[in-house]
Amino acid sequence: MLKWLRQFDLPVSRESLSVGGWLICALAVASSLGVLAWPISRHEGLQMWIFSKPHGEMYDTAIERWNQSNTPEINLSLLSNEAMQQRMLAGFLSDTPSADLIEVERNFIPQVFTGPIEDVGFVDLTGRIKAEGIYDQINKPSFAPWSSRGRIFGLPHDVHPMMLAYRADVFEAAGIDLPSVRTWDEFAQVVRPLVGDRNGNDTTDYIISMWASGGFRDQLEALILQAGGALFDESGRMKIDTEVNARVLATLASWMVGPDRIAVDAPEFDATGNKMRLDGRVLVALMPDWLCGVWQSNIPRLSGKLKLMPLPAWEPGGRRTSVWGGAMIGITKTTNDPEGAWKVAKHLYLSEVLAEELFVTNGIISPVKSYWDRDFYDVPSDYFSGQPVGRMYIDLAPDIPIRTSSPFNTQAKDRVANALYRVKEYALKTGRHTPEELMDRAHLELQKAERIVKRQVEQNVFLRSEP
Amino acid sequence: MAQTKPTKMFKSVGFYGVLYGVLIFCAAITLVPFAYLLCASLKPTDIFFDNLFLPSGDGLFGVAWDQLTLSHFHRLFAEEGFARPILNSTFFASVSGVLATLFSAMSGYALAKFRFRGRDSVTNLVLAALVVPGALLLAPNYQLLYWFGMLDSYTGLILPALAPAFGVYLFRQATINSVPTELLESARIDGCGEIKIFFTFVLPLIRPMMGAFLLLTFLGSWNNFIGAQIVLQTPEKMPLAVAINQLRGVYGTDYGLIMAGTVISILPVLGLFLLLQKEFLSGLTAGAVKG
Amino acid sequence: MNSGYPRWAPYVLIAPFLAVFVTFMAYPMLYSLVLAVQQTYGPKASRFVFLDNFAYLLTDPLFWRAVRNTFVFAAGSVLIQLPLSLGLAMLLNHNKVKGRIFFRLIFFSPALVGTVFIAVMFGLMFSRDGLINFSLHGLFSVFDPEFPWLERFVMGSLILAALWQFVGFNMIYFLAALQNVSKELSEAAMVDGAGPWPRFMNVTVPAIRPIASFVVLLSLIGSFQLFELAWVLLNNSGGPDDQGLTVVMYLYQKGFISFDLGYASAIGWVLAALLMVFAVIQRRVSLMDED
Repeated sequence: MLKWLRQFDLPVSRESLSVGGWLICALAVASSLGVLAWPISRHEGLQMWIFSKPHGEMYDTAIERWNQSNTPEINLSLLSNEAMQQRMLAGFLSDTPSADLIEVERNFIPQVFTGPIEDVGFVDLTGRIKAEGIYDQINKPSFAPWSSRGRIFGLPHDVHPMMLAYRADVFEAAGIDLPSVRTWDEFAQVVRPLVGDRNGNDTTDYIISMWASGGFRDQLEALILQAGGALFDESGRMKIDTEVNARVLATLASWMVGPDRIAVDAPEFDATGNKMRLDGRVLVALMPDWLCGVWQSNIPRLSGKLKLMPLPAWEPGGRRTSVWGGAMIGITKTTNDPEGAWKVAKHLYLSEVLAEELFVTNGIISPVKSYWDRDFYDVPSDYFSGQPVGRMYIDLAPDIPIRTSSPFNTQAKDRVANALYRVKEYALKTGRHTPEELMDRAHLELQKAERIVKRQVEQNVFLRSEP
Repeated sequence: MAQTKPTKMFKSVGFYGVLYGVLIFCAAITLVPFAYLLCASLKPTDIFFDNLFLPSGDGLFGVAWDQLTLSHFHRLFAEEGFARPILNSTFFASVSGVLATLFSAMSGYALAKFRFRGRDSVTNLVLAALVVPGALLLAPNYQLLYWFGMLDSYTGLILPALAPAFGVYLFRQATINSVPTELLESARIDGCGEIKIFFTFVLPLIRPMMGAFLLLTFLGSWNNFIGAQIVLQTPEKMPLAVAINQLRGVYGTDYGLIMAGTVISILPVLGLFLLLQKEFLSGLTAGAVKG
Repeated sequence: MNSGYPRWAPYVLIAPFLAVFVTFMAYPMLYSLVLAVQQTYGPKASRFVFLDNFAYLLTDPLFWRAVRNTFVFAAGSVLIQLPLSLGLAMLLNHNKVKGRIFFRLIFFSPALVGTVFIAVMFGLMFSRDGLINFSLHGLFSVFDPEFPWLERFVMGSLILAALWQFVGFNMIYFLAALQNVSKELSEAAMVDGAGPWPRFMNVTVPAIRPIASFVVLLSLIGSFQLFELAWVLLNNSGGPDDQGLTVVMYLYQKGFISFDLGYASAIGWVLAALLMVFAVIQRRVSLMDED
């Protein structure tokens, strides 16, 4: 080729570059041709983004069925949460098309609501939802995370009530009747005898998987909500430094240090955490319905060893459940076919067939109340020692607390998780480890957290003018 | 120099023992993560965390060799469609590398060997740009690409990478150090055109720097993650770094798959490095010498 | 045309670089000044807030936390990494060492791995039942076999990972620098009976100073921009109690997660200002020494 070039007296010489240099040039030419020759397939029909692989496996068959006999055609892509957040927001904010339908996890929705309401990238579905009677069919608390300033921007995917999962084999062998426990205080006392070197490897084994780190911020929020606390009230006003919140923080910190320690860092979806669960180094976990499905596929070897029970309450007679996670499906404003997208969204989220599949494959109960009496929710679960898991979750579903949709919720959660970490560190340093001794510190740290979030709220000029 | 009389200290076996000991120890520490990576990419998912390196068993050295599998690599291509990200990465890295190097070499040469209006201000600007953090430009560049309609395009990812101040600085140094002005003048007297002078006389003289900077920019674009994550939207356009990171699942990560992807991402640059090694080392350092 | 080249030559040579440089470097720098006095929600919605962003920044505890962390990382990089790089270079430079090319290749090889992958790999190795705890506990049985590196030793872990990544890269620079050490001077000093330390200070240091100061500057710039490593290693957050929050991470969170490009630009400019102060100080110091 070089000889051929030289014919034309082009100013290129073999000496200009080394072999490696020429190789990179050749790669540049070849890959350019490759990119040109391999066109990006333009999919007909609607693009739909999802974040969860288990959801995707269920949708795959559902969508195949749909595409055979219905229009518009649906094309599914699975994205990681971070990538989805990035591309979704980037698309919304610059009017570059993203997808037609997006299934979003709750932690990634607040930023969508940060700007002026007219700049929210999802289509306002309030009118459709109310006009078609969907509003009354669905469990009310399920709408909360997807609503901002009174408008609803997505169909809710789930309810996600929370229970307590425990190693029934271990507790029963030890003669501890965990299901009779009514409050968290009682829980801490009852389980304490089991702390110790349970599997003989010279390390102390604890009871419940809960820790003061960012990875547990969702569990922390769930426990705060269960206690009747919140980070934002129903009108979106921040209230971080409250008596209830401080009590939850002080109690959780008391679980993590000192002679009464019962908690351990066994993160979910994590190899280390799963190994600890398998080895019996942690016995109790906070368990929303969707996590049942995740455990069944990630830790199948625990099958038959676990049972579920309602959460112990913070006060005698208090709420026995909470809520963690959640997803919605939204229609983007850049879609060319909002009607088709709406049709698809309703099919995937509201049809009875898919409600059943969602439960069977993912363990998730439908937010559509009229399906709650169906038989498939009564089937005993092998994984959970024959318990009718679906029924148990449904019984708790109406009680789940309201989740905020404040645009600042993610920051607030981070700050509160941080406050918990600092309370724990304080306990470690000072040796004070009872909830009572830690209350003052909890208030102090929550105050700091509140100050930081409050400044961010006040700095936002787009939301400032609105009620 | 080897003929000079070695002093007693240098003769002692102990000294060399320590020297090689330290070198081998450091080399081992450097290589352990690679060994870990390679083992991890070959272990099946269900026993991934049972052993740190290779699964133990009855085979040679107490390793269960038969448990090792290439299935992660197979899955990457069969299920995750990794051929496309590899092509994309090659495209980004080679095109950015070639153009950025060419542009830098041209302007480094111009700044070093020509007198023209604005030369000093451009030189100062380039020096100042060296300390500008790239992150400062992320936000305005995003907006700029939005205005140009270049978001989610190959151009939007490649174009901003074509003006590396660092490269111009390096090539200016390299030209000053290794291109004699007399050579250029005699070439001009012989009637050579300026373009021809650049390609046939200047480039061969700064060849080490060309090799070094080509590799450096190739490496930079090959491993660029944030840029692609921000600019691109369409899955088919994503480079390898994004595609691999995408494998980190919400409810648990298949580490074997990610490690296999990482091995795939290292092999091509390792090959290029071996090819360009000599130039890379001499070129990179030539630029660092004060001119 | 006194030098014998057409007037257009330098302009043509520098044009492609300058066009891209002005568009994607100089202009965004100026534009980021404009953005810094605004609050934005993505590229579309923006309000003029004048100096509010800077006022907010000065009293933003998270920002200062990030600055502190970044300083710690930069100090760790320069004070631990560079001496190690220099040490390795001096060992390798010893004229009797065999297998120099081989060692050089090994030490350099981590630089070929993308930062994102390094983060994923080290995330596994730093985990409580990971390789690092396993080895340390195996070597020193008093070491906590479940030490939570990424909870109690966050910055240290980042510095260690960066150490692995960059020691070999910087070693290359020092290797070249050591070529400038005059053999005669070094031997003369030895004949005079000077010990290793005075020889190092009086012969080696002056010879490698130009490159060394260049490497210090590059390392400073690089470590002030720490982001990807920490971001992936700490699961897209600043880690417990923000121990791993860096300036660029904070910028990224503000600019590309909250999409306040204005505040992100303000952060970027303060970072740029800090870097420029450092560059000036560093230049002063190295010039002072030369006199």
